[in-house]
Amino acid sequence: MKPVTRRRVLIGLGSGAGLLVVGVPLALNAGRPAIVDYIEENGTGPQDAPRNPDLWFEVTPAGVTFFVPKIEMGQGIHTALAQIAAEELEVTPEQLTVRQADTARGYAGGTMFTFGSTSVKALYRPLREAAATLRELLREEAARQLGVPATRLTAAGGSFFVAGSRERIGYAQVVAGKQGEWVIPEATPALKARREFKRIGRAMPRTDFRDKVLGTATYGYDARLPGMLFGAVARPPRFGARLVSASAGAAGRQPGVVRVVIDAGAGFAGVVARTRTQARAALPSLDLRWEGGTTASSADLDAQIQAGSGSVLRRRGNVRAALSGGTVVQGEYRTPLAAHAHLEPLAALADVKAGGRIEVWASTQYPQMVIDDLRDVFGKDREVLVHPTQLGGGFGRKAGQHAALEAARLSAAVGKPVHVGWTREEDLQHAFYRPPTHHVLRGSVDPDGRLRGVEQFTAGGDIIWGQTGIPEFVRDALGFDPGGLLGQFMPYDFPAYRVVNRREALPVPTGYWRGLGVLPNTFALESFMDELAHAAGADPLAFRLQHLGSGEDGRRLRGVLERAAQAAGWGTPLPAGRARGVACCLDLGTASALVAEVSVQEGRVQVHRVTVAVDPGLVINPDGARLQAQGSVMMALSSALHEELTIQDGRVVESNFDRYRLLPMRDAPPVEVLLVESGDEPQGMGEPVMGPAAAAVANAVFTLTGERLRTLPLRPGQG
Amino acid sequence: MQLSVNGRRREVAYPDELLVWVLRDELGLTGTHYGCGIGACGSCTVLLDGQVARACLTPARAAAGREVTTVEGLAHGEQLHPVQRAFLENPLQCGWCLPGHLMSAAALLERTPNPTDAQIKEAAGVNLCRCGGYNAIRRAVARAAELKREDG
Repeated sequence: MKPVTRRRVLIGLGSGAGLLVVGVPLALNAGRPAIVDYIEENGTGPQDAPRNPDLWFEVTPAGVTFFVPKIEMGQGIHTALAQIAAEELEVTPEQLTVRQADTARGYAGGTMFTFGSTSVKALYRPLREAAATLRELLREEAARQLGVPATRLTAAGGSFFVAGSRERIGYAQVVAGKQGEWVIPEATPALKARREFKRIGRAMPRTDFRDKVLGTATYGYDARLPGMLFGAVARPPRFGARLVSASAGAAGRQPGVVRVVIDAGAGFAGVVARTRTQARAALPSLDLRWEGGTTASSADLDAQIQAGSGSVLRRRGNVRAALSGGTVVQGEYRTPLAAHAHLEPLAALADVKAGGRIEVWASTQYPQMVIDDLRDVFGKDREVLVHPTQLGGGFGRKAGQHAALEAARLSAAVGKPVHVGWTREEDLQHAFYRPPTHHVLRGSVDPDGRLRGVEQFTAGGDIIWGQTGIPEFVRDALGFDPGGLLGQFMPYDFPAYRVVNRREALPVPTGYWRGLGVLPNTFALESFMDELAHAAGADPLAFRLQHLGSGEDGRRLRGVLERAAQAAGWGTPLPAGRARGVACCLDLGTASALVAEVSVQEGRVQVHRVTVAVDPGLVINPDGARLQAQGSVMMALSSALHEELTIQDGRVVESNFDRYRLLPMRDAPPVEVLLVESGDEPQGMGEPVMGPAAAAVANAVFTLTGERLRTLPLRPGQG
Repeated sequence: MQLSVNGRRREVAYPDELLVWVLRDELGLTGTHYGCGIGACGSCTVLLDGQVARACLTPARAAAGREVTTVEGLAHGEQLHPVQRAFLENPLQCGWCLPGHLMSAAALLERTPNPTDAQIKEAAGVNLCRCGGYNAIRRAVARAAELKREDG
């Protein structure tokens, strides 16, 4: 990534004195060359008020406001980024107001897309550079106003203090007293060394949580405008069905209905009514004919997902020779179709002005996608403004967000703002899903307990390909889905390894689910590692440690394994009927290891205690990191113990939480999180810890009962 | 029809609709969250005369003549309810489930000022947290009990 240099900082003076705006376009992806070109051609200066920075600060006499390009869905990203900014800005958290950037001034593009545990990792350096640049601008001006050399000024708590005197000047005062133009420093100021950090690495109150405890936070489902109406949209009877004819039928005469909106060519039929209940109640009165679509059932999907051939992703040593000797172990694993089940269903409010601007408030992880969707329908040049709201969970599902388009179609028809909020049934039955996977593993261990080699076949439904417009022939030529590669490779050191991966386009929509491949892959690989350990007659922890390499990955995995094992009391006696299992994972730069303590009662797995050690390099906010890790463990346990979607005749059977069961409070174990910091750069924190829980639990069940559970959800006694 | 919500009389135009939609869409009290519509997730939990109720299963008409308390009614002016302060100290992640947990905990502490861990778990009942904040919820409710005792 390019450093923040003079030419890449935008400065604006706003509407007069007393306002300093510093914004930084980050060029995180190639999707926004026009803006970068603009800066490089025109340079920067007060004439170029920031038009499309990715992140920016506004300093006014009232304080400093930080406009964050990332979307808050509970991961604490606004807090973590504010903390990073405050570190270099030398302000207290209370002095920094955090606001969500919107697409009117912030560039939507790739930077707002909040996904893949990338936010802190990607913004860590440029955000510090931007904040430090702003601080130095203020310092120069403060020095001028005070008539002292800038080198005599120390920044702290939103003020500059003059060395050897009691004199000080606040940032706001500096901005208020500014005359003439701001001059951007030629070079990026030096950034603080880690030992100088005062805020990074310490707890800081969450910026979003006061509104949440008051009930006043605005999520997409909560967006309101005066005079708004409510919409509901007809859904196909099975995946892939086409709307071949549509008319209003009796829907227009139902109570409260304001308008029936049909665009059969686009497969769209919806109702606008005075209340949400009225809009939904009128849907069955539409006269719709759907045709086609899949009649597949779960068994058909499983039959399609068959590991055994595909692209060779890794090859080292001679696997055939390795597997022709020693004790050979074979394991075949499956993970099911799963839903995101974020508790806030998809929702958006749209206000479409006839021939004019489209304004949207949406629960979306990906504002640019909302803009693209809307422009596809309303015209490429249409002005679209997206306000990302708080998200009631996302987990990847809100990267594809069509409620905004639905609301906009309905709003355009009635000329008033329209809100569309999905029902739980719509959310579970008309989504995209975590694809099912199949893993076939063969490995061999020497009589002395060394792993000789592993042959690994994996198959899974599309993830990234399932949500992008990449043509099938391109996907087919590549052979694998990049999302399926997360957690795909065993992190151990052994002579022979061959990995063959195969992707499938399923007749059911599949896509991003928290961590993508990391949960299914780690379940299979770390269960299999356990099978190998038992075949070698070795302790599963010792067997893992023995096979870690001496490189950085091995060192970091060793660190978390040892830490978790020690804290969990690995090897110490347990009450009768309980056992421990261990698993580890290296994903998105973060190492994690987890020990689960379980019992099995009446065919049900009960998890009593979880100890997880996580090494994300550098921790920005320990409280936030612990919540992320605990949340990942709980979601993974939910997946391991309960979650499975069934497809029958092209439809999802489970329509609500009575059938699609999530981990409830009574089954949630205490989760102890141990943070290990082995680096100077923060790595991913939102998803990597989705990896080890399922395997650790299955491994504990094996130790306890001798039954190897190779299918999720784990059902002891049922194969 | 009129409803008494958080101590205020409110005119309701659609008394036959479910309380969750009347609160959210008609009265603008969007702190009560919809999650499932079948009483299986607890996001819409409100208090009716101090007892927990699922607003997604309760027709607005059934709340007539009773005092409806929503998350917006927990604080007294600037003074946050102990459960609100406790969750500020022990935050969850996305917070969509939070109003349900706040209301369930507020009701629990009214009848059980010193809840055991088992009672805290029991009171959470169906209240799901997809972000997996169950450890934080247990800590927060226990802390809320302390704060409430301190308040007297």
